[in-house]
Amino acid sequence: MPGPIKVGLVVPSSNVTVETEMPRILRRHPEASFSFHASRMRMHTVSPEQLRAMNAQRERCILELGDAGVDAVLYACLVALTAGGPGEHRRVESAVAEQLAAGGSDAAVLSSAGALCEGLRALKAQRIALVTPYMRPLAQQVVDYLEAEGFEVTDWRALEVDDNLRVGRIPADLVMKAARDLDLEGVDALVISACVQMPSLDLVQPAEDEFEIPVVSAATTGAYTLLRKLGLRVDIPGAGSLLRADARSST
Amino acid sequence: MSKPEHRVKGVDHAAFPTFDPVGTVRFYRDVLKFPVVHSICAAGWGPERHPDFIHFFFDIGNGDRIAFFYYFGFQPPGGAGGTGDAYATFTDDVPQFFINSRHLAIHVDDEQDLLEYRRRLDESHWPVEMQVMHETIESVYTHDPNGYLVEITRSLRPVTPQEDLDAALTVEALVDVASGPEPSMDKLLARKAELIVQRATGWEQEQERAGGAKEMTRP
Amino acid sequence: MSTLFVLDVPENVTIPQVAAQDPAVAVDRIGPYFRIASPTAIVIDRRATGCRHAVWYSAIAGLIDSRVTQHDKDALRVEDR
Repeated sequence: MPGPIKVGLVVPSSNVTVETEMPRILRRHPEASFSFHASRMRMHTVSPEQLRAMNAQRERCILELGDAGVDAVLYACLVALTAGGPGEHRRVESAVAEQLAAGGSDAAVLSSAGALCEGLRALKAQRIALVTPYMRPLAQQVVDYLEAEGFEVTDWRALEVDDNLRVGRIPADLVMKAARDLDLEGVDALVISACVQMPSLDLVQPAEDEFEIPVVSAATTGAYTLLRKLGLRVDIPGAGSLLRADARSST
Repeated sequence: MSKPEHRVKGVDHAAFPTFDPVGTVRFYRDVLKFPVVHSICAAGWGPERHPDFIHFFFDIGNGDRIAFFYYFGFQPPGGAGGTGDAYATFTDDVPQFFINSRHLAIHVDDEQDLLEYRRRLDESHWPVEMQVMHETIESVYTHDPNGYLVEITRSLRPVTPQEDLDAALTVEALVDVASGPEPSMDKLLARKAELIVQRATGWEQEQERAGGAKEMTRP
Repeated sequence: MSTLFVLDVPENVTIPQVAAQDPAVAVDRIGPYFRIASPTAIVIDRRATGCRHAVWYSAIAGLIDSRVTQHDKDALRVEDR
């Protein structure tokens, strides 16, 4: 039996949720096993200067993950991408892919922003609603970014938490309260957390059951896109219908 | 609309190794003023292990780029001898024309620009080694810090359609004589004369028809 | 008959002109090429053409039953094979 699939995670230094939720999701995969290897970029605030500094750190992170011989790299900082303006995830993904390819690595490359779009497209979602932990201006940027990708954001809530560590401790009932507050009339899909740091995995399935529309999070779309890029079956229970995409065809 | 057969858009990048990144950056960025436009930091992750390296790029106009690889801690491989460049060395009996046959020529628009680059080089550690008027181009040459021959060139006039025909016939004659025994210039010129007799009149009539058509469609 | 072709480009136009100063030489055209022909040897003086060396040494486009017996800084000489 081959060893586990090595998943590299590039995360902001204050993020603790990606490293918790991605393994929890992928542990439920029926066939493959995974190991996770994170590399951290120091970032306090999202400013042009810090984003430039983070760019240099990104190269260092990719070097570290490349050394580990990872099979895939998930660049997991959504605001860093959306702050770069429309299409930034394509630029970052291609820079990471080029860096890896230059060193002879054929690791799959994905980003949280790219994966969110891919997950929503897989659901054929056009009109979406979302909950973000960010302050309003930053949340607005995320909304604009998704609209530039062709989605219509019909309603959204910003929980206005600016400290990233506190984002990692936002209670589930607060997120659900914000979701219940949304006008979901005619919405194709709900993004229960557009942020890889806001804990939401345990909310995806209950929210989907409650609202009766597909519900995703940055983590579930990340897992979906990872499985697709690696050519693996998308069949993970209890984390929303997106991650059951291949379940019906499997038996 | 269907795409044309010939779709490529020039040089994305031409890449060379360097053992002198400091000199290379001085030469291309500081002397020639070619902007640094891209870089990659990587290591050997594939089947072939290799040292950590930096791959860095300079803009050579048109969005085209010249790129270098610098490998940390990697010494120049033992070459054949004392002439050549960072990529390969040769023994002294290898003629210079052959070594110089492989080079990069960068285009400029006019004489003023050619002389400007000549000035930049002449004020640097890498002055122009020669300035040559060729058939329809004028060029200055120097070797960069890695020993690569760099040419900067301008057209003396636009290329005419008959030169494209001539080049096509030359190349066809070359393929013909190089496919046979003992290729020589003499054989090539004899073969090319046959092709001229076969093709040149028809080509000119074709041009006149096409030119006439163009005249008519001009607004 | 000695026969050579020279492409009609601005740098080359003096070559058939100088060649034609010999009454034995006939110059006509095949497509965009000058055809320079003579029952005897064709001799063209480089200085009279005013051609730069690079132009001079790349001027011959083709030879019919002929060979180059001289091609240097002074002259081009083409004779029957």
